[in-house]
Amino acid sequence: MAQQSEHKWGMVIDLDKCIGCQACVIACQAENNVPLNTEEIFNQKRAIEWIRVERYWEGEFPNVKARFLPVLCQHCENAPCEPVCPVYATYHNQEGLNVQVYNRCVGTRYCQNNCPYHVRFFNYWTPQWPESLRNQLNPDVTVRSRGIMEKCTFCIQRIRRTTRNAKREGRKLEDGLLQPACAQACPTSTLTFGDLNDPDSKVSQLAKNSRNYKLLEKLGTDPNVIYLKKVDPKAAEELHA
Amino acid sequence: MALSRRKFLVLAGGSALGAVIFEACGVPSRELLVESPIEMPEDAVTGLDNWYATLCRQCSTSEGVIVRVIEGRAKKVEGNPDYPINLGKHSACCEAGLQALYHPDRLRGPMRRVGERGSGEFQEISWEEALDELVAELKKYRGSDADTVVLATDPLRGHLGMVAKRFADAYGARAMALEPVEQSVLRGAVKVVYGQEQLPDFDIENANHILSFGADFLSTWLSPVRFAVKYGQFRGKRPRGTFVQIESRFSATAANADEWVFIKPGYEGILALSIAQVIISERLWDAKAPPAMTGGAWAQSVQSYSPENVAKDVGIAPERIRELAREFARRKPSLALGGDLPAAHTNGSSNLSAIYALNYLVGSVGNKGGIIFNPEPPLPELPIGGGETYKQWHDMADRLRSGRPKPVNLLLVRGINPVHSLANLDFKDALNQVGKVVSFSSFMDDTTAMADLVLPEHVYLEDWGDDLPNPGPGYRLVGIQQPIVRPLYNTRSFGDILLTLAQELGMERQLPWGSFKEVLEDGAEKLFDMGKGSVKAPGFKAFWSGVLQRGGWWDVEAKSTAVAPVSPQLPEKVEKPSFAGSDGEYPFHLLPFQHPTLTDGRGAHLPWLQATPDPLTSTVWHTWIEINTVKAEEMGIKEGDVIAVESPHGTIEALAYPSRAVSPEVVCIPIGQGHTYFGRYAERRGSNVFAILAPEKNDKETGALAWAATKVRLTKTGRWARLSKFEGEGSPGIQTEERDVVQITRTES
Repeated sequence: MAQQSEHKWGMVIDLDKCIGCQACVIACQAENNVPLNTEEIFNQKRAIEWIRVERYWEGEFPNVKARFLPVLCQHCENAPCEPVCPVYATYHNQEGLNVQVYNRCVGTRYCQNNCPYHVRFFNYWTPQWPESLRNQLNPDVTVRSRGIMEKCTFCIQRIRRTTRNAKREGRKLEDGLLQPACAQACPTSTLTFGDLNDPDSKVSQLAKNSRNYKLLEKLGTDPNVIYLKKVDPKAAEELHA
Repeated sequence: MALSRRKFLVLAGGSALGAVIFEACGVPSRELLVESPIEMPEDAVTGLDNWYATLCRQCSTSEGVIVRVIEGRAKKVEGNPDYPINLGKHSACCEAGLQALYHPDRLRGPMRRVGERGSGEFQEISWEEALDELVAELKKYRGSDADTVVLATDPLRGHLGMVAKRFADAYGARAMALEPVEQSVLRGAVKVVYGQEQLPDFDIENANHILSFGADFLSTWLSPVRFAVKYGQFRGKRPRGTFVQIESRFSATAANADEWVFIKPGYEGILALSIAQVIISERLWDAKAPPAMTGGAWAQSVQSYSPENVAKDVGIAPERIRELAREFARRKPSLALGGDLPAAHTNGSSNLSAIYALNYLVGSVGNKGGIIFNPEPPLPELPIGGGETYKQWHDMADRLRSGRPKPVNLLLVRGINPVHSLANLDFKDALNQVGKVVSFSSFMDDTTAMADLVLPEHVYLEDWGDDLPNPGPGYRLVGIQQPIVRPLYNTRSFGDILLTLAQELGMERQLPWGSFKEVLEDGAEKLFDMGKGSVKAPGFKAFWSGVLQRGGWWDVEAKSTAVAPVSPQLPEKVEKPSFAGSDGEYPFHLLPFQHPTLTDGRGAHLPWLQATPDPLTSTVWHTWIEINTVKAEEMGIKEGDVIAVESPHGTIEALAYPSRAVSPEVVCIPIGQGHTYFGRYAERRGSNVFAILAPEKNDKETGALAWAATKVRLTKTGRWARLSKFEGEGSPGIQTEERDVVQITRTES
């Protein structure tokens, strides 16, 4: 049997708190050297957002409602993107992360095609920044070149840094200390990140909430991202899986 | 051994036989993982970093931020977990401060105009030359012509505000502050209704029911990060609170309310009085409500605002108004707040006064879950912001143009872009009549392009500063801004420039400091002498380091002692709004709104902010016009059609975005784009909606621009352009017919 790793990283997204403000989207792009999404890139439908906020409409004026849904890589236990990669560029690590190895990727885009959540992005061109803006790039994160797939890593560079620092200083990794850029920014605390192996962690506690569900659950991908249903006492109808 | 898919991959990648044997022997499978000898992403080596606390100055509220610095370069902005305003959280705007710092089109040193005014042709000069020229100008008008010099800035708070005021006073110059989307109506209402000079804090997290009139507080209104943090706590609470948004536009805040109620533009105050009428006539008021409100002349005067009397005007059924009133009165603690659209009408002040008066009836003034007053600032001389009203700027534009009563010989512009913000006064044309225009902007914006002399200041991540947020957090707070990187270019601190000028002009008595940092240290010493607050230290030096490390000083004990007036001044009636443009000729109400990330236009030069999808339309990089889907179909308008939007004051173009969330009576256009100059990411992009707002429509009490009081008509130009947006066919997004992607429950848990 495979040895269980110490950590299993996961996230809970409380839809009752998400206001759609996009703070997570830009925080992620700043942390992870995501290429600038220019107008042309948007028009080509090639914008890269490792985390995005989808908006769904319900009803018509004046009884209209907007529902927000942040979507990032679900870090599935049974990830459909993994078995289709011919070069093992995407694989599952011991801590529940779906990892992309950039220097293995040959850009077949099979993984993108197979991901039901549309959270994998392809670099059609070498990303360009004006020289001065390159000063901002995060040295902990590779800049992906042309022909490479990229996606949310749960800010693996932060996971490594924080766990190593804790190990070096001989202390236990404190719950809440480690946060990916999106969860750190989120003003309403919609996103909670943590160790699902730790039964006392905030993320484990929240995951047990009776409002929990997983995105496109019936596909059997078994995501490590758990959503909590939006509460709407006056909803026209309840929507459940 | 069951051969799972994952194990199969392991086997396929390594030596199959070896793997089976190892597996059988119980060797941890970790050793068998298919790993290349080169570095895996999870082995990424991290560099050594330092984090410095400072303030974000991207919008008019300053959030406390910490900035990650590696080898002298700023890498990442995050919320300062200690800072009372934002408690470790931040917005996309805060994040984009790095792009302001490293913007490729930043001005790199002082410049003198060489081409025609407005041509954008400049020649680089030295600071000595630039300052000599400015000092010579200032000396020329010193004395009887000092009032022909105007210092126009953003609403400066804290020590920079004090220095600027002292400078203007000592010289005799006219100081003016410009808020592109002004809050003078709100400040006026708070003063009238609560007797407060400062804006109060809103105890959203402890409220059980929120009734918001138009305030887009989760997106752009006053202090959105702070309000969003509070909203998160409000939503996490059990029993779960309720939130109703009454607004003529379906804003990002309305989208998050439990219920959005459409109201006819400008009738918010009349609805508020009707809600008061129901509470009074059904005796639903709280025991803490002032008797003057529940039984006196005021109670009599609102009797004419019964739901039946107002229903037709406000566009809400009488029974629904009663329900709104009963919910508000019964689900205590309840909180009424108002801003943005209700303030932007000719009756703006009375709208807001009527709205804020509701808090008295439910006992929410000065109480938990309601309006919390802010204390006086800890250091008395420090201004807390506020700007000249639109009316005053209108007069100034007239003065610039006519030279009467006195011409303006020298205009100093800092932190504002009036050519864009006051486009409906044709401020650009007015600037042509000014003797000399000096800009301190770090960017070649629309106003700086009209300047004769440019003395670019540092961007805030290179500069010293402080702030007294207004609204504050309910207790005393001074946020400190420190440079987190060395200045990249040949720029200077605006505070330092003023102090240098003061020395040259012999005004050391009023401004005795050698540098702006000394001004801040002086102020901090006064805080230290108080011996209170968040930083305790044996000596001043340690105190100063502590303040810099924590990003400021605050005293949670120092709360307001002010008591709400026993007989508050309340509006006995609210007049109906009036509009520029007749219903027949101009059938649509134009409701402009601050763009979620570009806000009033000051963020338009930053590519991250241009590329942040609008939460509701997912539009990027454009000016769009939201129009009701059914109406659009009637008019034959499709998404991307270039629409000419014509008001009695002018015409702009915008791309159509048919939306089911828009009333057929209104159209909505974001503020923020339409810059001729502002760097490569903003220039010649979209339209400036300020340009078509009727300048004569002002709030009656304050003279603020009634920016929602203009009516428009739409014409198809016959042209079409792709509306850049994130959603739609071919975009990433869960494209499924299944309806269970966003799951909803009626019961809280």
